[in-house]
Amino acid sequence: METPLAYYLFVGAVLFVSGIVCMATKRNGIAVLMGVELVLNGANVNFVAFAHYTPLGLDGQIVSLFVIVLAAAEAAVALAIALNFYNNHQTIDVDRGDKLRG
Amino acid sequence: MLANTSIPVFEQLFNELTKTLPGDVFAFLPELVLCGTVIALLLGRLLGTDRWIPGHWTALVGTLIAFGFSFNAALGGIELSSVEATAEISRSELFSGLLINDGMTIFFRLFLLLFLVLVIALTVLSGIPDNEDGPDFYTLLLGATIGMMLMVSANHLLILFLAVEMASVPSYVLVGFLKGRRASSEAALKYVVYGAGAAGVMLYGTSLVAGLLGTAEIDQIAGKLSELTLTGATLRTILLGVMMILVGLAFKLSLVPFHFWCPDAFEGAPAEVGGFLSVASKGAAFALLIRVAGQLAGPAAVPPEIPVPGLEGLAISLAIGLGLVGAASSTFGNLAAYSQTNIKRLLAYSTIAHAGYMLLGVSAMILARHAGDTDLARDCVSGVLFYLTVYLFMNLGAFAIVALVRNQIYSEEIADYKGLAKQAPLLCVAMAVCLFSLVGLPPLGGFVAKFFVLAPVWKAGDIHPAMWLLVGVALLNTVFSLFYYLRILVAMFIDDRPTGQPVAKPDSVDKLYVALVSIPILLLGASPLIGKLSQAAEDAARDLFL
Repeated sequence: METPLAYYLFVGAVLFVSGIVCMATKRNGIAVLMGVELVLNGANVNFVAFAHYTPLGLDGQIVSLFVIVLAAAEAAVALAIALNFYNNHQTIDVDRGDKLRG
Repeated sequence: MLANTSIPVFEQLFNELTKTLPGDVFAFLPELVLCGTVIALLLGRLLGTDRWIPGHWTALVGTLIAFGFSFNAALGGIELSSVEATAEISRSELFSGLLINDGMTIFFRLFLLLFLVLVIALTVLSGIPDNEDGPDFYTLLLGATIGMMLMVSANHLLILFLAVEMASVPSYVLVGFLKGRRASSEAALKYVVYGAGAAGVMLYGTSLVAGLLGTAEIDQIAGKLSELTLTGATLRTILLGVMMILVGLAFKLSLVPFHFWCPDAFEGAPAEVGGFLSVASKGAAFALLIRVAGQLAGPAAVPPEIPVPGLEGLAISLAIGLGLVGAASSTFGNLAAYSQTNIKRLLAYSTIAHAGYMLLGVSAMILARHAGDTDLARDCVSGVLFYLTVYLFMNLGAFAIVALVRNQIYSEEIADYKGLAKQAPLLCVAMAVCLFSLVGLPPLGGFVAKFFVLAPVWKAGDIHPAMWLLVGVALLNTVFSLFYYLRILVAMFIDDRPTGQPVAKPDSVDKLYVALVSIPILLLGASPLIGKLSQAAEDAARDLFL
């Protein structure tokens, strides 16, 4: 018996929600970026599952491949910015960035 | 077995590709030229030739060539439309339906490339970046513009996501470009954290919509939506997916409640980058929003006697929801701008307010499209395009003057602008033109633009009375916005310059540039150019709804 689509979507949803919670609660800049990765991969699970079960077909798998590459590129840029923040503030606690407000 | 079946498939693919690829690549030339320029910039850096040929020349030449190609394409489009009847559609799909090449693509390409030329010229004048960092800066600037050009021609949910990310990732770096400054690094970190989060949410929404509809091509969404029975779980999932996609776009447009990054990023970033992001990134996001929202309104061909269950509610709640977000953005942006002391931060709140006005046009477009009034829907879109074009000049003008004045008095606080009119009269008069146009006072371009956006929204009030209320809120906001823009002008023109303040002596090239940017605002307010531009905007909107 084939695994129903809903199981995969459930895994994707759990990853997505974990990522959102991680982004919203963590104060460490790196941990926030890890949350973003979880969200992107939750969407990837959805895409691959839909590719198998719905008329979306190969498009879904292609999207997930592109997203994997893009997530790496975005992580590289985000880490560079986090490093620059660390050099200027000696911390990567996002709450310490409080110079700009109003 | 597998080999036998796969050979015809590949042959078919090969034949398909060779048939359409040359034409597709030709239509894609402006983007390819920009890609080539980016490579040339990076190679120049690697080989050290950037010492003889500064990065800004390479970037400027590449952008001008790309502008020439897209101008040529635009001329071709105009010839086609004048020869054929107005019903003729000059719309074509590129790369097996991933991209779309229609009037709106051509319009926005010209818009973005013209803007890029102006921004590069501004950075040369204002000296950010210096010669050492030039190639890096222009690589990022051109890369972001390629992403935005893909955004305006996206016809596939994958391209939607890729293009938004391609435009965003270089923008994060541009905001943090002055890497030694605390404010700059803080702005970049905030922007990247919020931006990456919004992009992730958008991708998840994309996966839901694509999976449920069984297609990822944007121009098929309307058809597939009308085939579904939109009830119960299906309706909720579609709504969730659509809202998540709109979160991603609302972030790019800095709409309330996804605007947090905007004032911080603009205050921390150099004024040149702020100007670039406020116009280019918003324009591209509006093009994408118009394409997606036009599909979500459902197919216009649905006769009213056979209502598709759920679709009715989806389109109307989407239109009213976007309208409320637009009204909230303009109200909040104007209220928050009132108490600002830093001019870049004030302008950031002002861009939030302006995105709100333009969003009203999009919301009326959905309503009109849903009611089957295609002409009104096109009027709404062409109003938004007109507004964006005027907005290009007035907002770039304001940011350019902030950048040029910063080089003279080393400050971006409104308090330090006191009495500047006596030392740099031309810059201050140009600033007055830009700001009065942002308010929307006649006879400046901003007034005509506001009229073109709000008039179709008022007409859409016949379909749903909430639109009248939204126009009222927008008009009240316009009146209110006068006060905070006036505060800058009072400081510049009426207050005396305190002794001991640095003296502003702008170069004649600076004055020339500022005049060049602010003259179109005057022309677009009271000259035959209004008719020309609105004609171009209507041409761009014509292919949109079939």
